[in-house]
Amino acid sequence: MISPRTLRNLRSELSRSLLAKLGIAILAVILFTALFAPLLAPHDPTNQNLDNANIPPLGFTATENQTSSEMVDGEVQIVEEEVVVNTTTAHPLGTDSLGRDVLSRTMFGARTSLLVGLFGTSIAVVLGVTVGITAGYYGGRIDDALMRFADVMLAFPSLVLAIALIGLWGQASLRIPDPLVAFGIASSEMPETIVLPGTVIVVVALVNWVWFARVARGEALSVRDQEYVKAARSMGGSDLHVILRHVLPNSLTPILVLATIQIAAIILLESSLSFLGFSGAQLSWGFDIAQGRQYLSSSWWIATVPGLAIVAAVVGINLIGDWLRDALDPGIEGQGGAP
Amino acid sequence: MTDPLVTVDGLEKYYYENDTLLDRLTGAEPEAVRAVDGVSFDVREGETLGVVGESGCGKSTLAETLMRLREPTGGSVTFDGDPVFELAGDDMDAFRRRAQVMFQDPFSSLDPRMTAGEIITEPLAIHGVGTGAERRERAETLLEEVGLSAEQIDRYPHEFSGGQRQRIGFARALAIDPEFIVLDEPVSALDVSVQAQVLNLLADMQAERDLTYLFIAHDLSVVRHISDRVAVMYLGEIVEIGPTEEIFENPQHPYTKALLESVPRADTDERDRTVETIRGDVPSPRNPPSGCSFRTRCPELIQPPWLDLPQAAFREIGEFRTRIENGDIDVDLRWEGVGDPDREDRAAFVDSLYEEAFDTGLPAEEEETVREAIRALADGDRETAAATLRERYRSPCEAIDPALPAGDHPSACLLNEQPEDVETAREEWEADHDAPKAGAASE
Repeated sequence: MISPRTLRNLRSELSRSLLAKLGIAILAVILFTALFAPLLAPHDPTNQNLDNANIPPLGFTATENQTSSEMVDGEVQIVEEEVVVNTTTAHPLGTDSLGRDVLSRTMFGARTSLLVGLFGTSIAVVLGVTVGITAGYYGGRIDDALMRFADVMLAFPSLVLAIALIGLWGQASLRIPDPLVAFGIASSEMPETIVLPGTVIVVVALVNWVWFARVARGEALSVRDQEYVKAARSMGGSDLHVILRHVLPNSLTPILVLATIQIAAIILLESSLSFLGFSGAQLSWGFDIAQGRQYLSSSWWIATVPGLAIVAAVVGINLIGDWLRDALDPGIEGQGGAP
Repeated sequence: MTDPLVTVDGLEKYYYENDTLLDRLTGAEPEAVRAVDGVSFDVREGETLGVVGESGCGKSTLAETLMRLREPTGGSVTFDGDPVFELAGDDMDAFRRRAQVMFQDPFSSLDPRMTAGEIITEPLAIHGVGTGAERRERAETLLEEVGLSAEQIDRYPHEFSGGQRQRIGFARALAIDPEFIVLDEPVSALDVSVQAQVLNLLADMQAERDLTYLFIAHDLSVVRHISDRVAVMYLGEIVEIGPTEEIFENPQHPYTKALLESVPRADTDERDRTVETIRGDVPSPRNPPSGCSFRTRCPELIQPPWLDLPQAAFREIGEFRTRIENGDIDVDLRWEGVGDPDREDRAAFVDSLYEEAFDTGLPAEEEETVREAIRALADGDRETAAATLRERYRSPCEAIDPALPAGDHPSACLLNEQPEDVETAREEWEADHDAPKAGAASE
């Protein structure tokens, strides 16, 4: 499917665009971190140590408001003490309220977020594009039936729908042994399994496929009236040939752009589910943000570090989406209004 | 040369509007749009049949229906003895190989995501002809044949000019060695200089490969250049068909004459020629005129036997009648214009409307009939007014639908030779309608 020509386009676009390089660099770092988290993380991300709770990141000081009450002249008086917590190099990004290392948690959290984002989006794309292109290409009653169903799906608030589906199916998740730990490459103190939140992946895909279906349908509708589609049919091309050779490739660009946005949306949806305790994941950026949210005024880093990780992932993925869009669209200028 | 390769018989393609679920629920009648309304012709082996007509007359729909890219609503097409609309499986496959289409738009007819080579070899790939390397070789040969270079095989469409793209489109149509190519306005989007090059290419390839063309265009000079025979289409029907020279030198149908008349010529006499263009717009195919579809714009409308008016006068009366029938004349507003709130001064009303509607002087008899009708209108009796005019100024063109007779150069016009059933209908019509008394029809 990928021709040498396409590869050449990707390369030349990459050499032109600084942002594309940046996006690839960011995503490479995140992927590398997620893959080798057990080797890179300084601590077991699940290890609690209440003595070291709420340590700020290296180089930062934190004021911890400890409130105590005293009886002065028969009245209760509230006294606030400022406690300056010293920083230690053992926890470069600090610790959370249970004394777990934030850096390690963020590194491992990348695994969950990326797994859900990538798998969830992939399933949503396949499902949505299949439905959308079928509806758009055939039109008529097939279109009516499929798109009305899609509209009904769209009418549900996604989070509510996701919670309902999880409630229906339970929190099935797959625990895959982490090869780095299993083969003794990484320290045995690290978690032994990678949690693949199966239900969450399926649910976020079911909640998000409609967007792809709508975009794909719109593209298919406009592409199917192009003369090259008529030409292909006049040569005897089957529906399958026309769809795979013409409709799909010419519909793909906006779907690609949408996919990058949706990866971000899905990562956020996963965090929402984790925050509400529905995903079952205990080691994800969203879960950590939820945990840190209540300490935002005193220990800002607990939520901020995984939050920045999400921002970085989303920006990186979007930059890559832009690069792909520019590279895979030969000659926007010469298309005479055709998308 | 004389065997028909393609025979089109009574081909019809109607579209239906008001046919959505909501319309069915509210009980709206589906409305037929007659894009192609009973078209019959032959394309002989090795010839080029040109099809001309204004935009919207159904030329492209004809091409696409003929190629079974749209399902017809009636009629048949025979390709080399096989009924095209009944083909299936391998036979359909064979038809798809033997007949190809070249499209109008150099931009949208080539997939922007495919290279020239991929585009040209697509029909070969669809039909599984040759290996990848063989196809590529074939594409290179074809590129050279259509006047491009083999090195351009890996370029994308946007890297070519409009004329070059049409050459690629033509190479694609040639790739699988067809016998018949439908050329759907292949040069109308190109510059004039490029048009000539592409037309020459088409002609050269036809001679070289014994191709049969159905050439669709709206430009008469282009059609004249390339066609052996020409069919003139108007509102979904063929109104005249014949050998190119005869059509151009001796047009029979008023529409053809008017079309030829409207072509500017490079001639010094041209400055003084008053170009008699066709009046008005093409009527909507949703609601085509009764009888002859061209009658609303025809400069040679036939008068009933009892009349012999100048054509301009007859047309003026006809247009006035249409205005009354359609209720386009606002009687109340007119009375206000006359300035008589009691509506008693009928003479003033009649004078004002008559003078507005008629530039040419009518013979006294006809003027009286028209005034009679206006008097009825002044009283608010639109029906009588219309009937008065209808009685006396009816034309056989509005009652009888002309048809194409057999022959080498037939035309669908009552002025010319018509098939027997049309002639009979006309005689019956003339027998049915006696001349009403002038100026006294409404009494």
